[in-house]
Amino acid sequence: MNLIPLIKNETIKIIKKKRFYVILLILLVLVPIFTYAQMRQAQNNRQKFEGDWRLELQQAITDNQNSLGSDRVPEEWKKYRRIYIEQMQYYLEHDINPNEPNGVTFTRQFLDNSISLFIPLLVTAVASDIVSGERTSGTIKMLLTRPVRRWKILLSKLIALVMFISLIIVSTVIICYLISGAFFGYGGFNVPVFTGFLLFDSDVDMSTVHAVTSWQYILMQCGLTWFVGVVVGVLAFMVSVLVRSTAASIVTMMAALIAGSILTNMAASWKSAKYLFMVNLQLTNYLSGTPAPIEGMNLPFSLVVLSLWALAALIISFLVFTKQDILN
Amino acid sequence: MVNHLLGGVPMNSSKTIWITVSTISLVATLLLISGFIYAVKDIVAPAASENASEAKHEAKTQEPMGNKSEITVAAIGDSLAKGTGDDTGDGFVRRAVTLLQERDGVKVRLLNNLAINGLTTDRLLSKLDEKGVQYVLKRSDIILLSIGGNDLFRAEQTNHSRNMQDITLRIPSKEEILKVSDTASLRLQTILGRIHQINPGAKIIYVGLYNPFADLKQMREVGNEAVTDWNYRAAKMTSKDNNIMIIPTFDLFQENIKSYLSSDHFHPNGDGYEQIAERIIQGIQ
Repeated sequence: MNLIPLIKNETIKIIKKKRFYVILLILLVLVPIFTYAQMRQAQNNRQKFEGDWRLELQQAITDNQNSLGSDRVPEEWKKYRRIYIEQMQYYLEHDINPNEPNGVTFTRQFLDNSISLFIPLLVTAVASDIVSGERTSGTIKMLLTRPVRRWKILLSKLIALVMFISLIIVSTVIICYLISGAFFGYGGFNVPVFTGFLLFDSDVDMSTVHAVTSWQYILMQCGLTWFVGVVVGVLAFMVSVLVRSTAASIVTMMAALIAGSILTNMAASWKSAKYLFMVNLQLTNYLSGTPAPIEGMNLPFSLVVLSLWALAALIISFLVFTKQDILN
Repeated sequence: MVNHLLGGVPMNSSKTIWITVSTISLVATLLLISGFIYAVKDIVAPAASENASEAKHEAKTQEPMGNKSEITVAAIGDSLAKGTGDDTGDGFVRRAVTLLQERDGVKVRLLNNLAINGLTTDRLLSKLDEKGVQYVLKRSDIILLSIGGNDLFRAEQTNHSRNMQDITLRIPSKEEILKVSDTASLRLQTILGRIHQINPGAKIIYVGLYNPFADLKQMREVGNEAVTDWNYRAAKMTSKDNNIMIIPTFDLFQENIKSYLSSDHFHPNGDGYEQIAERIIQGIQ
């Protein structure tokens, strides 16, 4: 039997189960909240600096420089701040506002903040249900008694999942842009953003820094987010194959992801944590030039680690699904 | 044959769903994959793009000081300008701004306080080359400057704990202080010239030094001599230009160390800053 009808079947099941609508609803509720918070902050700053971003940025630089002199600030943080200072000075030097308030900038920042937890959670919401949901409802027996090879069934589910991951990311961007644009204005696609900061410990090499337009930057962010989404999706997919109930499989993935966000904040001294997938999710950091949580991490490293985890998850999923007995 | 799984959904509806979802997601996936490849290429082998300096977009040229109904103030220099030691965090800068506003009934706005703890004359000199710093100074009517104290007294102990014992242990000899004072005061001259050059229209107010060790026997004499010498040189520099002035603080602290210095025995406390602020606004007509 051909794969396409199977994929079609899975796609329609996901739509009919309304998981995707729930995700859209979550976005429609949360994005205005974030936008409002951002707007309040912008208003506050406008009051203090009368809308002059250069004054605001210079004060941020000075405040960070002051904290460098304090003995109570940990060396780790100082490293981040030194890099931040240099980058912000670079923006001032070139007279470009890194945070120009508009829908595009908001979307850019939202993607930066959501790549390691929010988007993976949304992906998990679809992926965790995809096999275990069939078990919970008992439809798995009907599915497996049909004259189709089991691996084909699983593959069709996987492809449908990837399709929905793409849809989730694209709809996140569109919803973000449309809603925040209503508050901050829809322009800003051509505002330059700097990328290509090479980090050596606490030094920044500016020789490869170059400007890209905001839309190019967002396209790159989306691509990286998509990769993260697929990896997380595949892992959730594996859990969904292994675990019987959808709830258990969602909780497993959530625990792993949240553990990852906690670890990134404190793992600097535990070097081998960098081989965990959840520490490597913040791929957009390599784009913006934010230091990685653990020394020795860079984009190729993170991509390899994530790919290996995804590959292992795929192998396990297919082995288990084709071999396991379906009881009850 | 597949439809029995869907709980009897009509053929047409599922066909529309399938065609829409599959087309959109196919396009989205291709777009995202190309974004991913672009990102990886750009991060792994950067600098292929256009030069950063060409990235100038519609840089909104700010009208220089369109609003004359308000006075703009900027502060730059060391921890004194920062307000270290003041429990309220205001320092002489915010206090002077408030006092001036009350006295003259005009709107006085503090643009930026660019002061950094522990700043010395040479580091301030390199700071003046930063574009962001220049931008702030250019827009200020009044520039408050405090620098030199770290050159004279603290240059050697930035990395040590800052309690009183350390300071008494590390008393610089008279020769040492005078030697540092020579080079540092030359730099002060350059700094004043540079700020004046950045904004010729601004009033530059230099806050003179006081002797924080006036109550320590071993330090009193050396300190007094170094500080008066420094202040004398600074006064000579400022006497040539009406827009640059020095505010004396030496006399304020000579007999009032206990009531005007904070617990670190180096920075003024709130009362000390208040006194300095009052002197500053006396200097502004």
